[in-house]
Amino acid sequence: MTSTMTPHGSLSDGPEPEPPPRGASAGGTRRPWRHRLSRLDTKASPYLYVAPFFILFGLVGLFPLVYTFFVSLFNWKLLKGQGDFVGFDNYVKVLGDEYFWNSLFNTASIFLLSAIPQLVAAVFIAAVLDQNIRAKTFWRMSVLLPYVVTPAAVALIFSNMFGEQYGLINNILQNFGLDPIMWKSETLPSHIAIATMVNWRWTGYNALILLAAMQSVPRELHESAQLDGAGPVRRFLSVTLPGIRPTMIFVIITATVGGLQIFVEPRLFDSSGSTPGGSQRQFQTTVLYLWEMAFQRQNFGQASAIAWILFFIIVGVGVLNFFLSKSIATAEAKVGATRRRRREGAQK
Amino acid sequence: MKTPRSLRGTAAFVAAAALAVTVSGCGSSSDTSASGSDTASESVELTVTTFGTFGYDDLYKKYESEHPGVTIKATNIDTGGNARTDAFTKIAAGSGLADIVAVEEGWLGSIMEVSDQFVDLRDFGADDIKSNWLDWKYAQGTDSNGRVIGYGTDIGPTGLCYNTKLFKEAGLPTDRDEVAKLFGGDSATWDKYFEVGAEYTKKTGKGWYDQSGFLWNSMVNQLSEGYYKADGTLNVAENAELKSRFEQLASATLSGQSAGQTQWDWGKGKAFVDGSFATFTCPGWMLGVVKGQVEAGGGDASTGWDFADVFPGGATNWGGSFLSVPTTSKHQKEAAELAAWLTAPEQQVAQSDAAGTFPSTVKAAEEIAAKATPNEFFNDAPTGAILAKRAQGVKAQFKGPQDSVIQENVFGPALVQLDQKKTDAAGAWDQALKLLDELVVNN
Repeated sequence: MTSTMTPHGSLSDGPEPEPPPRGASAGGTRRPWRHRLSRLDTKASPYLYVAPFFILFGLVGLFPLVYTFFVSLFNWKLLKGQGDFVGFDNYVKVLGDEYFWNSLFNTASIFLLSAIPQLVAAVFIAAVLDQNIRAKTFWRMSVLLPYVVTPAAVALIFSNMFGEQYGLINNILQNFGLDPIMWKSETLPSHIAIATMVNWRWTGYNALILLAAMQSVPRELHESAQLDGAGPVRRFLSVTLPGIRPTMIFVIITATVGGLQIFVEPRLFDSSGSTPGGSQRQFQTTVLYLWEMAFQRQNFGQASAIAWILFFIIVGVGVLNFFLSKSIATAEAKVGATRRRRREGAQK
Repeated sequence: MKTPRSLRGTAAFVAAAALAVTVSGCGSSSDTSASGSDTASESVELTVTTFGTFGYDDLYKKYESEHPGVTIKATNIDTGGNARTDAFTKIAAGSGLADIVAVEEGWLGSIMEVSDQFVDLRDFGADDIKSNWLDWKYAQGTDSNGRVIGYGTDIGPTGLCYNTKLFKEAGLPTDRDEVAKLFGGDSATWDKYFEVGAEYTKKTGKGWYDQSGFLWNSMVNQLSEGYYKADGTLNVAENAELKSRFEQLASATLSGQSAGQTQWDWGKGKAFVDGSFATFTCPGWMLGVVKGQVEAGGGDASTGWDFADVFPGGATNWGGSFLSVPTTSKHQKEAAELAAWLTAPEQQVAQSDAAGTFPSTVKAAEEIAAKATPNEFFNDAPTGAILAKRAQGVKAQFKGPQDSVIQENVFGPALVQLDQKKTDAAGAWDQALKLLDELVVNN
């Protein structure tokens, strides 16, 4: 883009080159005026440039955050609006509500059921794609395909497949004389079904990110390991995996944040039911619980309290992730140092 | 769950979309935004928000041509559940509501709590046309201070859908008059219904009804006092009649009369075709749902569904809607005028023709009854005329602010537990009371 901005065309950044006088707008006092302008430019511009983000964040991020906290201190109904000030009563109620803990358990369970198989599969797929295979681009784009489909469509198709009486999967099971699985009314099967949707959507995406990381692992390392007699499995475990650690951390963190906020999949898994997350709340996640509180039970005060509690939980997990990644990063530094030493050794 | 409009979620959306297309041919009602012509200085643009299958598209055009200067900008929301969320959110935000908002009976109770946010239609001549409506329908749209905040559109008189093929196989009569007699005609009782159901289930090993929820809705709606007493106090735990009906339904369900289907899903219609159940609760607007489900499940008129002029426990109403004008409207007078026109008998007949709804005005109902058009899908049953008969003797029941929550989120889960035979009658009743305590009393 900037290649077209030849010296004469530098209209945007005023101070440095002296452009030929264009019109006489500034008159005789041009030099001190320009001087002051340029000083202002260097001092204020950076803030001006980042301002849009912060203004926008303040409007759509910080303000709702603070306002939600304000709402959470009141008896506040969706339609009737603000009621009496109740202090932290809403928080006490939420923390004493078994449905809250149930939703937290469901969230954690679905998260673990999705994150672990997803990462294992993503690493495996990435490792396969990292090999010298034909039609590389085709395969790489193919694994991303599920990510392109909207979650709502995914949820519709899968909830149909996981139907209890007419679903594809139970039909197949029954053809083999097996008992149908109650995918929607039992807790664990429903969690597995929802985790499957999440995995289907995100595995390919994560695999591509991990693939990019794998390709930045120096090939010489692989070659020298090969010379040292390491087999493919050993090379994968000792060279590839340590090499992609930082990316792994990124993938884990995004998966955690996404997993804690899971909404669409469990919401649409049983969309005809009136209680979001199954009639017995078998797969009601925390965000679904929040949604039910706000828009079905119309209790905005408690819903806001849930939002804040969820916020703290996510921050807590984030901090945990931070320390985890820090300790792994130091391990990474050690590996880097070893590499450097090896390379130096090789040069001699 | 009181009408198909209170379905929630996307699967429901798909069903509703299919319904809109198959039943009334007005599937594209969401994009009926009339071409705006703001050139004339007196021109008024009225916004209308409806949901589900309202069948208003042609009426909008007619009104516009009869009233130069009025442009109607219509939005149709896929389901009643989403329309409720939309309306509630906008009321909470204090802006954004259309000039005319369609309100469903199920959540009218919540709207009544903020009835001062809606225009008193008496200021715009509601008293003059009061006699158009069935008394109870007009009364439902009136708040506790006597302010009229909604003109009734349709009502939900309920008859019994049954499958002639399945009845024949089980040795039951198939003619709709004889079927009506089988259950006791005008004095049909739930006892008789479940008695026949027990025989049917014993003989065929199949379900008598699809699931417990819809029967329960009707059973509750028939009571003089449902979940609330007329004075607005909760009436569940001490309501002996309610409990005895619950036990009756529970024992039938546990003995295998329920097919244990998922309501509003029915295996994407397959359950209507494969003989899973033989009878179905059919308020007027449900006829379109049945047709849509049968077609989605791969069936057609030959699948054998028919509609009988009978309902166990007597006349009952399930669902129906209103048109309201919020106080935030800038054209209250024009909006009230349009709402009155849309709900006038002549337009209600047109709406019924387009969308299959049953009118809430006396004259329109008479006209539909007189026409007695045979419904090809239901074995040529004169469904409109039958519904008109089913509407006789319907008593309006007081609906409290949390009525739909109690129906769907308190008793709904308990009935699902029964359908899946995971608990007994007492266990399900206890669960309902526990949910009531958590979701309504201590909310």
